[in-house]
Amino acid sequence: MFNILKSSNNKKPDTESSPSLVSKDNSSISYNNNESKLSISSLQAWFGSKLALKNIDIDFKRNCVTALIGPSGCGKTTLLRCINRMHEMTPNASVKGRVILDDFDIYDKSSDPVIIKRRMGMVFQKPNPFPTMSIFDNVASGLKLNGIKKKSLIKDIVQESLEGAGLWEEVKNDLDRPGISLSGGQQQRLCIARALAMQPEILLMDEPTSALDPLASSKIEELITDLKKNLTVIIVTHNMQQAARVSDYTAFMYLGELVEFGRTSQIFKNPVKELTERYISGKFG
Amino acid sequence: MATLGEKTVITAITSYKEDNLETTKEIFESSARLRFLQDEVSELSIELIARFQPVATDLRYIKSCMEMSYGFSRFGRYAYDIINVLEILGPLKLCDKSSIIHMSEIVLEMMNTSVSALRSLDNTMSKKIYELEDVVDILYKKGVRESIEFMNQDNLYPDNRCNISSALILKYLERISDHACYIADSVNYIVTGVTSPRR
Repeated sequence: MFNILKSSNNKKPDTESSPSLVSKDNSSISYNNNESKLSISSLQAWFGSKLALKNIDIDFKRNCVTALIGPSGCGKTTLLRCINRMHEMTPNASVKGRVILDDFDIYDKSSDPVIIKRRMGMVFQKPNPFPTMSIFDNVASGLKLNGIKKKSLIKDIVQESLEGAGLWEEVKNDLDRPGISLSGGQQQRLCIARALAMQPEILLMDEPTSALDPLASSKIEELITDLKKNLTVIIVTHNMQQAARVSDYTAFMYLGELVEFGRTSQIFKNPVKELTERYISGKFG
Repeated sequence: MATLGEKTVITAITSYKEDNLETTKEIFESSARLRFLQDEVSELSIELIARFQPVATDLRYIKSCMEMSYGFSRFGRYAYDIINVLEILGPLKLCDKSSIIHMSEIVLEMMNTSVSALRSLDNTMSKKIYELEDVVDILYKKGVRESIEFMNQDNLYPDNRCNISSALILKYLERISDHACYIADSVNYIVTGVTSPRR
């Protein structure tokens, strides 16, 4: 991968040419080699006075896929949005607790939400390519916004990102076509390519295949497995089989609480909690 | 399958005790029926997995059903093997059948307990089955050694057919007891999710 905005997951950044990874100044850059990429402790989130997340403690392992499962309204998406500091953008929403990315608290006063978001790509339920932009510009948009002007470099990153998203072969001769002219599955992969162009360390996916047909879903699932070689992936899904297929770890949430977290094979073969068993077996929710 | 498997073994042992070959056809048909039912359970299991993608206890239950159905079909097969011994080597009226009758009583108790454990999904019964299996293993080794010893002594026993038939039937009973243990293992797996080490 190109080292434009930051280093890759496991390497120290070239601080001469890269901006800070988290904070507005460069004083807080630090790394650790722990297995945990993102560690959340005592996280609480509110919408006004309503408590949506109740003391969540969870570790997301580096280069692993973690699935967040649970019935609608249990707090999965809120947790995702707390991880990249999107939650606080909702009017009257607030957050308390610690979210440690590597070993830096992203809610520390010195941290910059813009840089945090840059380190964490996000893919939403419905593909949302920029409607007026071409395929190329959709992928390049983030780079341009971040001040990268060198055309050859942008071109290389766009190609690499589209390759990373498994879309390059399908669009390489049509890069000037509008992004929205692609099929739903291709549009979602375009959005993944757009996220990859920023070379994130964590990819947050909020029900990324719920609007796609089985074939397109299957391609995204294969892609997720491929992406974890370079990224840490956190995926919200209502599809139990998808969680079972793509994730290494699964977290089951209910009414704003983390009920059970463990290896996916354990959760789906032998969950510890009765509530987890009932949910994954389709007996409630 | 559990009921049929148990019944078939009981019939074979009774036939051996009474030197009665009239049940051969019935045992053969029961054995074939058990084999057919095992295939049906496998097909049904595959369909359930494909269509409903079961997880957790449901998944473990289905996996265990496939394994247990194999166990029940083996009950039928060994019952058929026992009656076959009588057919090939019989009549065995003059043979001392006491050791086999003793062992068969324990094996039937194991089968009965394993089926009860399955019906009630009660994994606490496993302990009793495993204890009985240890007894069966001892009886099996002792019985086979005795058969060999008798064969080495010139015509001390009425007929070497007694020794050969004893050794074979002891082996079949020992295998039935193993399958009763595997059924107990499966019940345990359904309840706890923990696989038992193969003995």
